[in-house]
Amino acid sequence: MSSAEINKNEVDIVIGALNADLTQFLTSWRPFFSGFHLIVVKDPELKEELNIPEGFDVDVYSKTDMEKVVGASNATMFSGYSCRYFGYLISKKKYIVSIDDDCVPAKDPKGFLVDAVTQHVINLENPATPLFFNTLYDPYCEGADFVRGYPFSLRSGVPCAASCGLWLNLADLDAPTQALKTEQRNTSYVDAVMTVPAKAMLPISGINIAFNRELVGPALVPALRLAGEGKVRWETLEDVWCGMCLKHISDHLGYGVKTGLPYVWRNERGDAVESLRKKWEGMKLMEKSVPFFESLKLPETALKVEDCVIELAKAVKEQLGSDDPAFTQAADAMVKWIQLWNSVNSSA
Amino acid sequence: MAGYNLEAIEAAPLKDDVDIVIPTIRSLDFLEQWRPFLQHYHLIIVQDGDPSIKIKVPGGYDYELYNRNDINRILGPRANCISYKDGGCRCFGFMVSKKKYIYTIDDDCFVAKDPSGKEINVIAQHIKNLETPSTPHYFNTLYDPFRDGTDFVRGYPFSLREGVQTAISHGLWLNIPDYDAPTQLVKPRERNTRYVDAVMTIPKGVLYPMCGMNLAFNRELVGPAMYFGLMGEGQPISRYDDMWAGWAAKVVCDHLGFGVKTGLPYLWHSKASNPFVNLKKEHKGLHWQEDMVPFFQNLRLSKESDTAAKCYMELSKMTKEKLTKVDPYFEKLADAMVTWIEAWEELNPPVKSEASEEVNPQVKKRQSDGKDVKAN
Repeated sequence: MSSAEINKNEVDIVIGALNADLTQFLTSWRPFFSGFHLIVVKDPELKEELNIPEGFDVDVYSKTDMEKVVGASNATMFSGYSCRYFGYLISKKKYIVSIDDDCVPAKDPKGFLVDAVTQHVINLENPATPLFFNTLYDPYCEGADFVRGYPFSLRSGVPCAASCGLWLNLADLDAPTQALKTEQRNTSYVDAVMTVPAKAMLPISGINIAFNRELVGPALVPALRLAGEGKVRWETLEDVWCGMCLKHISDHLGYGVKTGLPYVWRNERGDAVESLRKKWEGMKLMEKSVPFFESLKLPETALKVEDCVIELAKAVKEQLGSDDPAFTQAADAMVKWIQLWNSVNSSA
Repeated sequence: MAGYNLEAIEAAPLKDDVDIVIPTIRSLDFLEQWRPFLQHYHLIIVQDGDPSIKIKVPGGYDYELYNRNDINRILGPRANCISYKDGGCRCFGFMVSKKKYIYTIDDDCFVAKDPSGKEINVIAQHIKNLETPSTPHYFNTLYDPFRDGTDFVRGYPFSLREGVQTAISHGLWLNIPDYDAPTQLVKPRERNTRYVDAVMTIPKGVLYPMCGMNLAFNRELVGPAMYFGLMGEGQPISRYDDMWAGWAAKVVCDHLGFGVKTGLPYLWHSKASNPFVNLKKEHKGLHWQEDMVPFFQNLRLSKESDTAAKCYMELSKMTKEKLTKVDPYFEKLADAMVTWIEAWEELNPPVKSEASEEVNPQVKKRQSDGKDVKAN
């Protein structure tokens, strides 16, 4: 499937602006963003005016817009990296592609720039295969297929809910790891897309992600906020928590989550050692989350995404609330998110 | 030896800990090309088909060779658990080996090149895979975190970063892909040209189709579960030997807390078998796998099964119980699974001692000069 076959009208590209000057970012992405509608959401804590080059079909949202739509008290839900969720909320499109504003197009091993947008949409448009692992990875791509021993009843696959891309150069490692291996950069281009099997948990990164908004939009929850959350990815876990919820709900509803291509090139930013100095509560929260999600079973009656989120929030409050206030806040935020989602999207 | 990569030959990692098991019915000429990587390793050749045919092993390789007569002599009545006229006979080699690791390869597989043009040392990669931990409890989006140049990603729980022991390393193939007959018939020209530069752990609780063409495993951990079933002549099914072993071994690994990796290394698969012949061989399997897969997906082994052999005995009971209704073949298979474990335990007694070295005087080794030598 080439970019000519993608229906650009079905896609919103949502960019969370944590940096005011988006010139370099948007200019580098111009060949691949061209023809798409962009939603740029400014981090409400960013004081400077955004600098956006000409020639894009873009709507920009700032704190004022957020307050108009969700009210001043709820607007705090969208600060920092979570600002992009406001874009998810108000979008009307089928697919969302979201890339951090410190990433530019990567080059594949042949030296060609990677069209991350098209690859994400292709991933989303083709079925996922979470119920049985295909050793040649994506069976729907050119030159590959299901291997011997793959049950035929499982070959039509299931709808793909999310496409998790990867990163060359600065990989999405946590602060301790990057601080220990200061020089390590990801130079390995793994030429594969694959479905993460059902029930397998994984850390989903928000740096380079796309999803089917019509299918699972409400499941992308801006919920877990670290007390010391900062403006570099090393100081946040909102996407990881969101991803755990998304994967669990996708598994429950029988959808698939893919990982692998496309790659983006992630520029140098921040200082892992500096980030390490902050109290690293994220680690503790992750440790508590894992057994919770491992044993969690959503009720069979939860058939809609919104209901799944509410049930999940209930379970978080009941089982994790006493462990850390961050979990109670996350649960409350998830409930609030669904209320906002329903109110904003019912009038659509 | 002119023109051979002497460095690679000398390098032979862990050569005293690895046996290379090769089932063959035709020729072992392919071993000529493998010299730089395999020459220092001990081979166990399982000759399928007519035992009167003399199969020539390229000079310089240290090997033991077993034909059907040897299998019958060594196992006696238990020999009926070893397939005839099918690559599944290779598991006899797993049973007679005494090494920690097994690498098994098909005789139509050759050395592949990576995208930089470098020849791929499959055995070195498999050993790396087996000697580094797996991560079945949580999927790492940068794949094997123990490979050079990569690591665990942000959000990966620290308590799970130690990983678990790796029991199986499943390699892949360039050129002729391992398709079933229907796919082969529809796509006769398709070749796998995609080199995916990754090794990854298959998550716990997830099944996959294990191909025996390019496979390594820790025999001490999971050997008894690597039974390649009843296939070939006299059986209603073929080309499901490695599938059966793969599903059983994965379930056993998940239960015992071991990991299974897939991905690198690649080799070059040169021969496309006849799809019509394949269809005849596997067509029952195409239907039966619809029952076999849910069977493996849903079964739960008991706590008491704390070794691969015990797990496998339990598995044989479950097979008889749950799959006989699909076809009476499975009752035969279940019995053969028991026979396999009995034979395994006779040749590999659970408790190691001086005396056990003399386990079975029937096991004869043939040196490369063709003389019979008693096992020590």
